[in-house]
Formats: sequence, structure tokens, C-alpha cells
Amino acid sequence: MSSAAAPRPPRSALPLQVAGLALLLLLAVVLGTGLGRVMVPPGEVLVALWRGLSGQELAGNDVIVWQIRLPRVVMGVLVGASLGVCGGAFQGVFRNPLADPYLLGVASGGALGATAVIVGGGPRPLIPAAALLGALGAVMATLALAREGRRLPPTRLVLAGVMVGSVLSALSTALLLRGEDRAREVLAYTLGDLGFSGWREVGAVLPYVGLGAGALLLLARALDTLQLGELTARSLGVPVERLRLLVIGAASVATAGAVAYVGIIGFVGLLVPHVVRLAFGAGHRTLLPLSALLGAALVVLADLLARTTPLSQVGIVTTLLGGPFFLWLLRRTRD
Amino acid sequence: MNRALTLTAVLCAALSAAASATTYPLTFTDDLGRKVTLKAEPKRIVSMLPSTSETLCALAACDRLVGVDDYSDYPAYVTKLPKMGGLYNPNVEAIVARKPDLVLVSKYGKLAEPLTQAGITVIAVNPETYDEVFSKTLLLGKIVNREAQAKALVTSMKREIAKVEILTKTAVNKPTAYYEIDPTPYSIGPNSFMGTLLTKAGARNIIPATMGDFPKVDPEFIVKQNPQLILGVDAGTAGARPGWNTITALKTGKVMTVPKELNTMLGRPGPRLPQALRGLAKLVHPELFK
Repeated sequence: MSSAAAPRPPRSALPLQVAGLALLLLLAVVLGTGLGRVMVPPGEVLVALWRGLSGQELAGNDVIVWQIRLPRVVMGVLVGASLGVCGGAFQGVFRNPLADPYLLGVASGGALGATAVIVGGGPRPLIPAAALLGALGAVMATLALAREGRRLPPTRLVLAGVMVGSVLSALSTALLLRGEDRAREVLAYTLGDLGFSGWREVGAVLPYVGLGAGALLLLARALDTLQLGELTARSLGVPVERLRLLVIGAASVATAGAVAYVGIIGFVGLLVPHVVRLAFGAGHRTLLPLSALLGAALVVLADLLARTTPLSQVGIVTTLLGGPFFLWLLRRTRD
Repeated sequence: MNRALTLTAVLCAALSAAASATTYPLTFTDDLGRKVTLKAEPKRIVSMLPSTSETLCALAACDRLVGVDDYSDYPAYVTKLPKMGGLYNPNVEAIVARKPDLVLVSKYGKLAEPLTQAGITVIAVNPETYDEVFSKTLLLGKIVNREAQAKALVTSMKREIAKVEILTKTAVNKPTAYYEIDPTPYSIGPNSFMGTLLTKAGARNIIPATMGDFPKVDPEFIVKQNPQLILGVDAGTAGARPGWNTITALKTGKVMTVPKELNTMLGRPGPRLPQALRGLAKLVHPELFK
């Protein structure tokens, strides 16, 4: 199901689509900030937001809204947007509908870094740094293994990514069995968790996501040209190899930043671009920004469900909701 | 006179031992819900749970252990025994090679099936609630023909626990407490055996029973409950968490990690329960133990 054949929607429809999804995201943010384990009436939410913005001292529920919920929601927005954009870009650059942001081993590398610190009993603040290092290291290894002279053939990249991912996952599991009393903590990382995302953590993730996702949005037009085929793209003056490397690099930085603090949230990067494509068309200039909006809304809502139900982890919710929904959508569109 | 007394005492002891001696074959239902029959008194035992290893030793059956899991480390005697792996990576071959006539396993591992197929008697014993610590001690006593010792052990454990409880009952202020067992964060409900100990140590658990025995907790719930005491996290880590610097426990410096040895004891539903309770009570109410 290459996306090349799908027609681009009329240009005039784009602002409407953006507005629609932005509204959905806004709704998700309002719900995510207002609801939770502790009930905070809407009025108090507004008061808390005002107090925080005007620099007044926070007390009682203000702390929950301003210091716990809001940063958690913003983290959800960043991570969801990042996974959505990266998924769309990866599916485009590999011209493979099953590509997702974890394709090149980012997730396994991040998990290995986190597991090493957790099982080794290292200090908790070291976990994100180790995860980031592992994630980026895994991508570098994949790139090095897939390189063919100066070329980066997509098939080799995918194969190398799957291989690197498997090897790193095996290493994580071996480590985990050495320290099984910490299994729950490692499991929390591999199932994605937005808990304890404060403003500091948001600030740490922002540069990676901003830089990576921002670069991908700028590359959208080139990605569109690539959908016409490598040869055509070349003849139109697109430096295909460099574009591929740029997209992979940008997406990897954004995804590595996303997994560093919150772990591996499954299915968002695969699912969201497909939903956008089926609903709004396949052009990357539409696909990438809309995937960012939908990904953000999805993760915020999934986290809200996770922390108010016994499902307890955002990655469990995204997978439980995403899988069946994806299949339903697929069947519906085929008919 | 003296001799007569001694003789009477010896006779009584012998009689009571005989009265409580286990008769084999012994059949009962284990924690996996299986009917298990012990044909004879077990002499070569492998224990795959640290708490079970401790209980057997407390029942003076330490010398029957021929292998233990990787985490069994108390009393010192068991550290010299061959290691048979952990819960998720048990070494079945090593266990079989030790030719045990009984293997005590956790109901959470997958050991029961392969060992049973190898013709070895397997019993799953998992004390999980406070009361089960005692009932399983008595059961283990019956299994290894040490019923009298098991009864004596349970009595002395309950006596030691009562001593601590008498102290903590006199405490004027019972702080509201949050106990973190891992930083994701997971805590303990009041009905878990650790939760029971926390209450007996003179604290009021902020986790309601409705949340379960070992619930994953939403951090905003902890901030809302505003506990006066936080156990299981160091002050630096807790203070760095969003919003936590507003919690009373942090403002008054009542945030502490649980020392490693005490933490191990608290996690083991076995004979060191009274010691664990005393250690916990000292953390909650240092003023009572001066």
C-alpha cells in the first residue's frame, strides 16, 4: 500500500483539517489537565493555571494541576507528536507501510540503556541519559551495518535495523534475568510511562523533539517527490541518499528524545500516519503536521485512560486501543 | 527430686513430640491448587524461595537443604549451598542433579511441571498475607516433621510482634505514611503483609485497601494525600519529583530510604518478620526506641 498513488487533498481543505485535529488536541489537553486520580473542578483548574502563569504561590490542587498534570500532558503532546511525525516520515522514506519510529533499533537501544542502569542499581536520573545514548548508539550501529559504500539502500537499512534491535533486546533480557527483582521497573520502561514528567523533563525532551520533528516538517516536500520513485526523484534534482540520511537522522533524534524519559509507547508511530493517510490523504505536507496533532492527542488521551483505569501504563492503552482500531479501519477502507 | 523433674520433663517432651509427629504419606493442597502427597519425611530439600529457606532453618531443618535459589542468603549457612537459579531462570538440571526428595517452589515460577515430570515431589508455598506467614510456617513444620518447633516458632514470633505493638500503640502521633517499593512508583496496600507491618509499626498508610495489595500509584494521588512520612525513597530523589517539594514529609525532612538489610527482611514473609517489624517501627517512631 504505497502511498504514492493516493491523491493529495485540495489545498483549501488543509486549514480545515488542521483546525479539526487541533481542536481534538485541545480537547485532549483540557481533559488531561482536568481529570485524574484526584478530582479538580474545572474552575480550580483555571485558577491554578492563572496562579501559575502570574507567578503566584501554588497551594493544594494548584500543585497537582500545574506541577504534575500539566507537564505530564505537555510531555504527552511532545512524545505523541514526535512519534506521529517520525512514523509518517519513516513510512515515506522507506516506502513501507509497516515502518515505525522504532524501526532502526531506537527502542531496543533505549531499553538496553535503561535496563543497564536499573538492573545495575544506578541512580535514577541516569536512566534517561543511558536510554538516549543507547537509542542513538543503536541507530548509528544500524546505519554503519547497512551502508553500502556511500549508499544506504532501504532494504538493507530495514534488515540491519531489525537485526540490531533483536540483538539489543536479547541483551536487555539477559540483563533483566540477572536482576529480576527490578523486573517491574524495566517493564514500566518498555511499556511507556509518563509518570513523573515534570517541567524539567519536558525541557530536556523539547530540544530533541523540536529539532527532529521540525526538520522532518521542512523535508516534507522532498519526501513527496521521493514517493514518485527514486529515479524520478533524482531526475527532479532530489539528492536521494542525502535526503534519506537527513530524514533518518532527524527522526532518530526525535524518537531517541521521546523514549529517553517516557520509555517505549507502542503503536502510535505506526498507527497515526495510517489513520491520517486514510482520512486526509497521503501528501507529506499534510501527513506530517496532521500526524503530529493526532499523535499528540492520542498519547494524551491514552495517558488519561492509563492513570484513571487499572490499565496503568500509556503504552498498554495505545496498543490495546490502537490494534483493533487499526484493523477495523483497514477492513472498512478495503470495502 | 531434681532427677524426677528432669525425667518428667523429658517424658513430656517426648510424648508431645510423638503426639505432633507427622504421619506419612501426607496429602494436602499446595498454593498451585494441586493435591500433593509426600510418601515419607523429606530429607533432601531444595528451596527456591528465600523465605522458605529461612523458615526451614528456623525449624532446625537447615541441614536437609541441598540447594537453594540465587536470592536465599539467610542464615549464613544457606549461602554455602549450591545455587539453583532464580524465579525466571531456574536451573532445572542442577536441581534434578541434586536428587532432592522435595523441592519447594514459588507458585509464580514454572518449575512445578518439569520437576514433577522428572518424578520429584514439588510443593508451592507462597505466604502473601500477614496471616499466611504463620499458617505456612505451620504447614512447612508439618511437611518436614517439625510441627512442635513450628508451633513454638509461631508463638515466639507473635510474642515478639506483640512487644513492638505494645510500644507503637502508645505513640501519640501516628504519621500518615507512603511506602514506596519501587520507583515507578509502586506502593503497598494495607492488606498486603508489608502493609500490615506498616500499620503495626504505628503508621497510617495513605494507600486505601481498594487500590489493591501492591498498586501502581499515580504521583498526584501521593501529593494530594500529603503524607507526613515517606519510606523507600531518598530525599534527593523525592524532592526532584514534580510537585513533591510541597509534601509535608519533605518539608519536615521525614523522607528516608529503608536500609538494605531491613528492606530484604521486610520483603520476606518468613521467621524474621518480628525483626523486620521492629526495624520498621524504629524508622516510623524513633522516639519509642531510645
